[in-house]
Amino acid sequence: MEIIEKIKTNKSIDNLTEIQKFCLDKLESTPLPNPKSEQWRLANKSKLSNFLDYSVNEKNPKFDTPFPNTSQSNIRLVIGDNCLINVIEENYSIKQLSEDKLVKYIKEQISCFNQNENWSELLNLSLNSRKNTLGLKINGSEIPPIEIFSHASSNSLNAKTLVIFLEKNCDIDLLQVNLGKDNSSLSQSTFFCLEENSSVNHGVVSYGENKSNLLNSLNVIQQKNSEYNLGSLHFKFNYARFEIRIKQSEGNAKTNIKGMQITKKDEQISTYTKIDFNGPNGFLDQINKSLADDKSHAIFEGSIIVPKIAQKTDASQLSRNLLLSNLAQIDTKPQLEIIADDVKCKHGATISQLNEEELFYMRTRGITLPEASKLQLSSYFQEITSFIPVSKDRWDLLDKLLNEN
Amino acid sequence: MVNENLVKDVVKEPYKYGFVTDIETEKISKGLNEDIVRLISQKKEEPKYLLDFRLKAFKKWQKMKEPDWAGLGYKKIDYQDIIYYSAPKQKEKISSLDEVDPKLLETFDKLGIPLTEQKKLTNVAVDAVFDSVSIATTFREELAEHGVIFCSISEAVKNHSDLIEKYLGTVVPASDNYFAALNSAVFSDGSFVFIPKGVTCPMDLSSYFRINSGDSGQFERTLIIAEESSSVSYLEGCTAPMFDTNTLHAAVVELIALDDASIKYSTVQNWYAGDEEGIGGIFNFVTKRGKCLGKRSKISWSQVETGSAITWKYPSCLLLGEESVGEFYSVALTNNLQQADTGTKMIHIGPKTKSTIVSKGISAGNSINSYRGLVKMGTKATGARNYSQCDSMLIGDQASANTFPYIKSQQPNSEIEHEASTCRISEDQLFYLQSRGIEFEEAVSMMVSGFCRDVFNQLPMEFAAEADKLLALKLEGSVG
Repeated sequence: MEIIEKIKTNKSIDNLTEIQKFCLDKLESTPLPNPKSEQWRLANKSKLSNFLDYSVNEKNPKFDTPFPNTSQSNIRLVIGDNCLINVIEENYSIKQLSEDKLVKYIKEQISCFNQNENWSELLNLSLNSRKNTLGLKINGSEIPPIEIFSHASSNSLNAKTLVIFLEKNCDIDLLQVNLGKDNSSLSQSTFFCLEENSSVNHGVVSYGENKSNLLNSLNVIQQKNSEYNLGSLHFKFNYARFEIRIKQSEGNAKTNIKGMQITKKDEQISTYTKIDFNGPNGFLDQINKSLADDKSHAIFEGSIIVPKIAQKTDASQLSRNLLLSNLAQIDTKPQLEIIADDVKCKHGATISQLNEEELFYMRTRGITLPEASKLQLSSYFQEITSFIPVSKDRWDLLDKLLNEN
Repeated sequence: MVNENLVKDVVKEPYKYGFVTDIETEKISKGLNEDIVRLISQKKEEPKYLLDFRLKAFKKWQKMKEPDWAGLGYKKIDYQDIIYYSAPKQKEKISSLDEVDPKLLETFDKLGIPLTEQKKLTNVAVDAVFDSVSIATTFREELAEHGVIFCSISEAVKNHSDLIEKYLGTVVPASDNYFAALNSAVFSDGSFVFIPKGVTCPMDLSSYFRINSGDSGQFERTLIIAEESSSVSYLEGCTAPMFDTNTLHAAVVELIALDDASIKYSTVQNWYAGDEEGIGGIFNFVTKRGKCLGKRSKISWSQVETGSAITWKYPSCLLLGEESVGEFYSVALTNNLQQADTGTKMIHIGPKTKSTIVSKGISAGNSINSYRGLVKMGTKATGARNYSQCDSMLIGDQASANTFPYIKSQQPNSEIEHEASTCRISEDQLFYLQSRGIEFEEAVSMMVSGFCRDVFNQLPMEFAAEADKLLALKLEGSVG
């Protein structure tokens, strides 16, 4: 209940919006997620309560990008900062979503929310008035790559919301960067709607600092013949949780997901995915990698739901995990729930450490142990980092990861 | 194309073990309270420690809630509407099989269980449990020559009380879960096996469980102890008559393997599954667990689950001893409105422990078939390995197949591999077989049998043949 009071009495929030009020009402019945539920049973309670400890802050400090500046051809947006965009070019247009449409869409989404499963979104929408919400409507072709930043300020809890409508036959590269500051909590919710024949290469890079926390949720609705490619990377968070929910609303769509989480010290980072095939001929290829070191805890839970209507679905899910320390732990739970009979579904999971034979081989060739480990990690990371759009040319994520580890 | 009508015809294959034996039985009144627990204990003339064990379990059970995490849909069980003790009336002490009521012998004869002298040639020692009590155990003298104790658990309580006191409830504690607590409070009979040091059991041991009364639950308890360097293969079979009420079966099985010992536990479960409308059938809520206490010990579970309206069963291994091995091979078949939530838990505690899981689920009709398993590597399980494989086959577009593997590792120097897949009977393969003159039903049967081959190979001979037949019977032509 504390969090609800905090929002209601917060001075930096002028007036509660209709959506805020609605979500707050829902949160009142479930102020905290049920710790016994499947989605939350492994969540570290003290870390989650630490997430909520900071005061709610709607104001954004000056944003200094830790990454190289964008070149001319890229569009860079910072949620809560220079949110206003209205680009109309010959081949494409990127417009602000109208207030009505935005509210209508969010309301529609909330109506299907499960209070426990969608707790992160309810919290986000309760915290966030319009100031930190970015709604975009994109159409056309040859659209330059887009980068969208969300950031939290020190000693505060910030919430950012992003809603994107990708119109028919549209094709974009989008990189979302979530930055955590020292002692901060960031709640980020993204709603993505892909219309027919559209395609997106979506990258999510979440990079924290000492004692930063993140609750990141991503809701994607894919209409037929759309293609959604997601590359994600979460690291350096005291506590981070990435929830992905994808619905192929009519089937006949393609989804590729490659995600990775890296935990060190006593961090906990978890990824939850739920892929719902709501029509025939759906395709999914998912790989999730974790690396846990020191006393950290990495979690992956993925569920694939194939109802009767989703005949000829082809779905595969793989969870690969590296456990590098005696005190670290990894939990993984890939799940399949299938009713349709004419489907190809499979999943796999492995947990191991770095391959000793490979290490030995490299060492016999004069490569030192730290170098050999780095080489192995580099190949482990590469599969994911190379899948993240935009980043690979200008930001050397791989280099960053290797030097961190 | 596959003929839909043919599918329905063959799926309707009647349950051939559904007859009721008309025999006079002794039953206690319905309901469960402390007095009933005391009464059961008194009827069995049990020592005080066992009564205390029961009462403690009953107190714990009263405080527990029936688990709902498996998401199984069934009518709430009224625990006060069940008879907790039912036994066929017969002379107090039986010195030979001739004194067993001929109707009972006839029942087991109908079920194909070798109790009578002429059938003993099959070289399998059998303990037959009818409702709440064990009625006969064969080959006892021959086994005793090797020092093997094979008897009902009630007899073991009387004659080998020290072993029961030492081991009962050490693998599955009374408070382990709701159904285990219930069983600990009211268990009526079951089998007890003790294999002394260095002995390889000269024959397969077998228990046959038969539920005859419609209103009584069956709560048997099995305890198998294999001392150092011993080995045993144990078989378990189950059937029940057709009633349109649901009968509760909540059993507990505990296995203990000391250094270099090996226990192989095989089950063919064919309880009555209810009719096509889902009326009747057994609720099978079973807790089976083995403890590999000793170094290099091995426990292997193999099961063929075809019956029961609801199956809730996770035969597990606690791998404590260094280099101990746990295995789980399972075929679960569900049809009509059956629901099966089955799998295993492999808890690696000791170093260099190994486990293998092979699970095959076949779902047809409107059934739900789930694999739910846990593989856990503890902090001391250095060099431990696990390999799991879960395959599901869907027959018809109304059936559901789910896979929920929980994997947890706290030991970097260990390896876990898990893979799962889902498929259906391919029309191409069917066409291929049919074009070579193989009848449709035989072709399906061949394919299902091929799908389950990895598991059937692990079953003892007699069971493998029975299992193959059972699946063929239940599934022929049910391809949609």
